[in-house]
Amino acid sequence: MDTHKKHGFWHRYFFSLDHKDIGFQYLLTAMFMAAFGGFFVYVFRYNLAFGPNDIPLYGDLAAKQYNQLVTNHGAIMIFWVGMPILLAVIGNFLIPIMIGTDDMAFPTLNKISYWVFLLSCFVLLAGFMMPTGAFGGGWTMYPPLSVSDFGYNNPNTTFWTNFFTGNTFFLLAVALEFISMLMGGINFVVTTLNKRAKGMSLMRLPLVVWMVNIANLLFMFSVGPLIAGAFMLLMDILVGTGFFDAYRGGDPILWQHLFWFFGHPEVYVLLLPSIGAVGEIISTFSRKPLFGYKMVILMVIIAAILSLVVWAHHQFVSGIDPGAANIFSLLTIIISIPFAGMVLSYLGTLWKGNIRFETPMLWALGMLATFTFFGGFTGLHLGSNVFDIYAHDTYFVIAHFHYTLFPTVFLGGFAAFYYWFPKFSGRMMNKTLGLIHFWGTFIFFNSIFIPLFWLGLQGQHRRIYNYSAWNDLLMQPEHIMARQIATVSLIFLLLFQFVFLFNFFYSIKKGKKASKNPWEANTLEWQTDSPPPHGNFDPYPVVQRWPYDYNHPEKELDYCPQSEI
Amino acid sequence: MNTKQLLKPTMKDIPQGRLGMWLLIAGEFVIFGGLMVSYLLYRMRYEQWAEMASHTNVILGAINTFVLLTSSYFVVKAHQAAQRKDSKKITMYISLTILCALIFLVVKITEYSQKLHHGFTFSGKELAASGKAIESSYWGFYFLMTGLHATHVVVGAIVLFIVMQGARKGKNYHRIEIAGLYWHMVDLIWIFLFPLLYIAH
Amino acid sequence: MNIFPESISQIGSEMDKLFWIITAVVGIATVITLFLFIYPIVTRKRNKTKEEMYMVGNSHGKRKWIYIGMILLFLGDMYILLKEHPIWESVEQTLPDPDFKIAIIGKQWMWNIIYPGPDGKLYTDDDIMAYNELHVPVNKVVHMDIKALDVVHSVFLPQARFKQDALPGRTITRWIKLNKTGEYDISCAEICGTGHSIMRGTMYVEDFNTWKKTMANIYKK
Ligand code: HEM
Ligand SMILES: [Cu+2]
Ligand SMILES: [Cu+2]
Repeated sequence: MDTHKKHGFWHRYFFSLDHKDIGFQYLLTAMFMAAFGGFFVYVFRYNLAFGPNDIPLYGDLAAKQYNQLVTNHGAIMIFWVGMPILLAVIGNFLIPIMIGTDDMAFPTLNKISYWVFLLSCFVLLAGFMMPTGAFGGGWTMYPPLSVSDFGYNNPNTTFWTNFFTGNTFFLLAVALEFISMLMGGINFVVTTLNKRAKGMSLMRLPLVVWMVNIANLLFMFSVGPLIAGAFMLLMDILVGTGFFDAYRGGDPILWQHLFWFFGHPEVYVLLLPSIGAVGEIISTFSRKPLFGYKMVILMVIIAAILSLVVWAHHQFVSGIDPGAANIFSLLTIIISIPFAGMVLSYLGTLWKGNIRFETPMLWALGMLATFTFFGGFTGLHLGSNVFDIYAHDTYFVIAHFHYTLFPTVFLGGFAAFYYWFPKFSGRMMNKTLGLIHFWGTFIFFNSIFIPLFWLGLQGQHRRIYNYSAWNDLLMQPEHIMARQIATVSLIFLLLFQFVFLFNFFYSIKKGKKASKNPWEANTLEWQTDSPPPHGNFDPYPVVQRWPYDYNHPEKELDYCPQSEI
Repeated sequence: MNTKQLLKPTMKDIPQGRLGMWLLIAGEFVIFGGLMVSYLLYRMRYEQWAEMASHTNVILGAINTFVLLTSSYFVVKAHQAAQRKDSKKITMYISLTILCALIFLVVKITEYSQKLHHGFTFSGKELAASGKAIESSYWGFYFLMTGLHATHVVVGAIVLFIVMQGARKGKNYHRIEIAGLYWHMVDLIWIFLFPLLYIAH
Repeated sequence: MNIFPESISQIGSEMDKLFWIITAVVGIATVITLFLFIYPIVTRKRNKTKEEMYMVGNSHGKRKWIYIGMILLFLGDMYILLKEHPIWESVEQTLPDPDFKIAIIGKQWMWNIIYPGPDGKLYTDDDIMAYNELHVPVNKVVHMDIKALDVVHSVFLPQARFKQDALPGRTITRWIKLNKTGEYDISCAEICGTGHSIMRGTMYVEDFNTWKKTMANIYKK
């Protein structure tokens, strides 16, 4: 077991360079931020269903605050929950043990990237304490709205009054978060390339390692222009330059291009690690090799490259050239094909499997199903530029992207969590509570967003505090009812998360002790102790085969670890 | 050597510091690329910007180009010295590089003060007030891009200084190469910025 | 319970039809995929040999069903594109001759409507400005010059299935032709600040004679 002396709390949470500890720090921070994201969504959804007054635990909600909560909900869920969980936690915790090494290539850089991330959380939350209030212009930060009270537009401001505003802090927070993820990303890629165990060729890497790395590279190549744009926007706010001011040699649409050139790949950055983890889980619990492993990797690379050239589907009605819109529509619809290949491979993995319904498997199947049936398929509706004229900026879009992001971040995230929990804590999670948590989340998630699809088709547009001005169109009894169903479902969904929290803290202390390999899986992390000691392996493993030899005809058992000859 | 060390996973085809630096450089290029493409799009749209570009000081820009190219040469020399583990030569060449960086910055400051003197400011408020609103963003790009680049020069010089200290103590010679790569990037970005901003048409 | 609000234009009805076409394509795909999900789950307890289960999918032959699935989806995709393209062309890439022209200008937080005035020409001295009230004749081609003064807004006419962002410093001309009289909504579909949720105008679609009278009234004021 652990030959090193146990380190104290301070050491573990503040100074440790061990990739597992840093992963755990990211996890706790992301859960902390998720509490904010979840609370915000509760407040503004409550307002939409039952009115702005006397919201339990909050009080009255004004229009300005509504916008602030929506904006920060979106940004937090994507940048401070999705990114850290799917890139940083999965990458930190899994890459070194899955490739059979002791730590990251640059442990100190890893630590710094966590600290920058933590700083970005504080900067974002500090935005709420600024005299002008938090930023409320939508997570897309479209100028001129995001500049309109500051900089050149408001001669009464100075650099410092412009600095201490929600807008500046929001931008700075996002920029810091990007820098942190960039540092993390460099680390992951170098680690994967340079520190693999003997025998771990690229084509023997577990799928999730591939996916995290592709996601990181995609992130690195798409975020640059937005960082440039963020500098420009920041200068517009702080010193009054006119980069996005149409009257001073700028163009607001340029921001939209810079933003979505990053924004679309970003959803793939979130998706890939999640779908990679789901692939591991489906293969393990179907007791079958991952079907078409190489093809899946190829498809993902194709999809990642295509994702760099579809961004303008977010701008079909924003005033871009209508001829160009045709091309973006074509590319967007075409991107469904590599994804179809990937999903079909996963279904091929299920086919004829001896499926074991453990908790992680349920989450993984739930993720794959909701992502495909509602997220992916409504993507075809929106990829069609004609239908998007109507659906753009309505709740149809809201429901669509939540059907992609919620499965990605939460269903896939929980799948990974329940799957690897025994490894990082050394204990099993309670299965009954896990199942209750799953069904509660899964059912209520669907009953939140299916009504929102319908509301969107009814013409309900987004980021609206209150629909009373649209009496005939959007305030009929059935509309009010649909909103209430969504909101009540949301409250139940949030309540079910307490089951998880209880299970988490209970199991980490009192759960059943986990063996080395409780799921009988093949990848390297299951060949070392649970939890892995400092340094992970002793001796380092030598890899003999690919990770998916389940039910190999020449083997006695129905699995065969990667390090076994 | 025990088995644990024997099996230690390290695939040193490409040293990991160099690999990391390559990725960082790629990331930096996309950031500057984003700025340059934005600038080019505007530049092609607004004909007035060519006239603004003619107010830049091509001579000072050319001097700076020359200074940076020279500095890159010194860095290459320092790298060669590092391969021979020749601490004296390393110190000399890195010091020369840092000197070039300082010259670059002095020229830059001269240029900036000239621009400000003529009323070409970062925010462009003065130009906008004099009725040249469209032109004012040209100077936004000018100051943002060159300023960001100059920041990189400063950072690069500091990094070079630190690795030089290591080499003087006879440690970490390989870091010279990595810091040098970064310096080449700073140089290369300037090679792109110079024609974009200074040469009018 | 209806899915869409009533449609008041030819093009709008075609767009609704397109929605159902896409839904049908997606529906077929859903049925197939759902089967692939459920069948292995139902039969998970059956006995299978290891040879049967060790499916790696490492040659094109073994992956043929995946390719077939991808080709089917490709055909579905192409069908969608084929159906949508003519609509896009007529909505966004053609500009039929106008019977009437107005300008609609978004501003925090209202719609300014500019009517051409008695001379029938926009941007002349006799233009008339109105707030949040747009009167258009039924069955006529109406050109709208869309722009914004301060921040980005978006003209959204839900019943006409029409949407176009309004940008500061830029004029975008789009057309509508409506075939039902009545009162309809003008929403702003792009967040534009605190008052975004009160930014609503009304579009009155009137038969030609009523509309002429309304116009005369407006011009008198
Ligand atoms: C817990 C379940 C969730 C619910 C019920 C929910 C609900 C909503 C709703 C109703 C809106 C639109 C508000 C409006 O336009 O007025 C919204 C916006 C948004 N949500 Fe969520 N959400 C959830 C989780 C997530 C997750 C997991 C993500 C991403 C990882 C996410 C990302 C966003 C984004 C990016 C926006 C757009 C914000 C904006 O308009 O600026 N949400 N959410
Ligand atoms: Cu997209
Ligand atoms: Cu508006």
